[in-house]
Amino acid sequence: MKSRQSMGRLERNRSKWGWLFVAPGLVFFSVFSFYPMLNAIWTSFFNKRLLSLKRPNFIGLQNYVRVLGSEDFWNSARATATFTVGVFVPLFIMSLLFAALITSMKRGKRLAQAALYSPAVLSSVVAALIWLLMLDPRGLANQFVNWISRTPGIDHRWLSDSVMVQVSTMIVYVWKYLGYFTILFVTGIGKIPDSVNEAAVMDGAGPIRCFFSITLPLLRPTTVLVSVMILIQCMKTFSTQYLFTQGGAPLGPINVITLNIYNTAMRDLNIGKASVMSTILFLFMMGLTWVQLRVSRRDEAEL
Amino acid sequence: MSLFDTAAPLVSGAVVALTCALVLVPLAFMAGASLMPAMDIMKMPYRWIPETWKPANFLRALAGNDGAWMYLRNILNSVIVSTSIAVSTVVLSSLVGYGLAKFEFRGRNAVFMAIMGTMMIPFETVMIPLYLIIVKAGMQNSYAGLIVPFLMNAFGVFIMRQYLITFPGDMLDAARIDGCSEPRIFWDIVFRNSGPAAATLAVLSFRQQWDNLLWPLLVAQEEKMKTIPAYIVKFAAEKHADEGAMMAVAVIASLPVFVLFFTLSKYFLGGSAVYQAGKE
Repeated sequence: MKSRQSMGRLERNRSKWGWLFVAPGLVFFSVFSFYPMLNAIWTSFFNKRLLSLKRPNFIGLQNYVRVLGSEDFWNSARATATFTVGVFVPLFIMSLLFAALITSMKRGKRLAQAALYSPAVLSSVVAALIWLLMLDPRGLANQFVNWISRTPGIDHRWLSDSVMVQVSTMIVYVWKYLGYFTILFVTGIGKIPDSVNEAAVMDGAGPIRCFFSITLPLLRPTTVLVSVMILIQCMKTFSTQYLFTQGGAPLGPINVITLNIYNTAMRDLNIGKASVMSTILFLFMMGLTWVQLRVSRRDEAEL
Repeated sequence: MSLFDTAAPLVSGAVVALTCALVLVPLAFMAGASLMPAMDIMKMPYRWIPETWKPANFLRALAGNDGAWMYLRNILNSVIVSTSIAVSTVVLSSLVGYGLAKFEFRGRNAVFMAIMGTMMIPFETVMIPLYLIIVKAGMQNSYAGLIVPFLMNAFGVFIMRQYLITFPGDMLDAARIDGCSEPRIFWDIVFRNSGPAAATLAVLSFRQQWDNLLWPLLVAQEEKMKTIPAYIVKFAAEKHADEGAMMAVAVIASLPVFVLFFTLSKYFLGGSAVYQAGKE
């Protein structure tokens, strides 16, 4: 009797401590995640301006109508989509390819991974700055391409042509993240039991057949995870485009959505409009992150 | 053995080696150009080994184009901000992660799901409301303003919870029977023993902040409160910026993370990779 009473007290005590331990988290995330999120959605219905003393008015969906009807927004949507696809395809294929090649190597695996990963160590701004200089009309990129294609003296307008400047931002990204995603794939391939491959080899399957019929299907959790991660990364890209435009590249072709939100809020001081774009970005990212969380949890369950 | 069996490893090895070399070219360019006069960097054909050395680029990088030596101060800011955030993220995330992992209380799952839900909120979406909070609190151009929104993150709570779930409960109960208070149990037993997960999280948070451009761009408009990425953008966009000095700025910014990478590479490459979904 007495012991049950003390058990009850102990449990209550434990649950009190549990709440106390998670309390800092509740406070922090309420103030710095949930409140700002709701605030962004709320603000998207007002004609709010930064640094303005005038009381913002409720204007319903007018901001949405204005944003969705503006060429500027659709240009940013296009820039973000182009960038995302333009990075996704080469990055996904190359990191998978190099992961397969590296796993099949007998020596130098770690060295190759470290070399490929090294650009990921750099800050995004540093990465963009290095390329800004290499892509200069007099820079290495022109010399290299002209040397390969035997076309001396041609300027490929890496930073001034509206198509090329998009390609340039994609190059920076693929270069920076190739090693990172290669390592994720290497880890994923490493989890596939050797016995499966050995059995296939015994049955006379060649390395290419093994890759497509065994490795790739078994790698599915990793491929989904990597895909979502690349998509999320690309949709949030900011530093490269910001530095390039600061360095003199034209804004229009690479005016990705985050850059547009930043400029709309901080340069045009139009917070209502920026909040509309923020909310739209949130909806997209929420979908993607949801997929990621589901996949990683399932991935975990399989381990 | 067929010809294919002997040739294939050679070919794949060569492809990997060639790609690695290509990937390293920009890094070599950065290192070389940081020691060259601007004229040589844009010379055709490009010379990889500098003909004339110009270590003075590093002086120019630190002194800035205006000679105000602001880079030194901005580097210090980056160190202060990134370190504080790394420490607070580890401490607060293990605190919350411990509460979620080792205590049973009503609503625990709801709390956990709510915190995980914040991973779906991209920083870019909340940055303007956050900025307005900081302005209201009068924390613009201050360390507090740079640090407070990143004191912890959902990803950190997730890692620490996953790690601490496997923590032996007997050890905690034994300490309780010995009359150890709950805060002391957390600090002396749990936190002291969460080494690998805490180290991974610390390295990750430090790196993220070292890289952060967007937030300092918003809250730190004063030169002396800028961090490294913002300094780099400003330095590179200035009219008379010298290309050699730009690369010197880049080298200085990269050295600390490369040192971290080479000394703590297992924390970089290990658990760090998979669940990276938090704030940029």
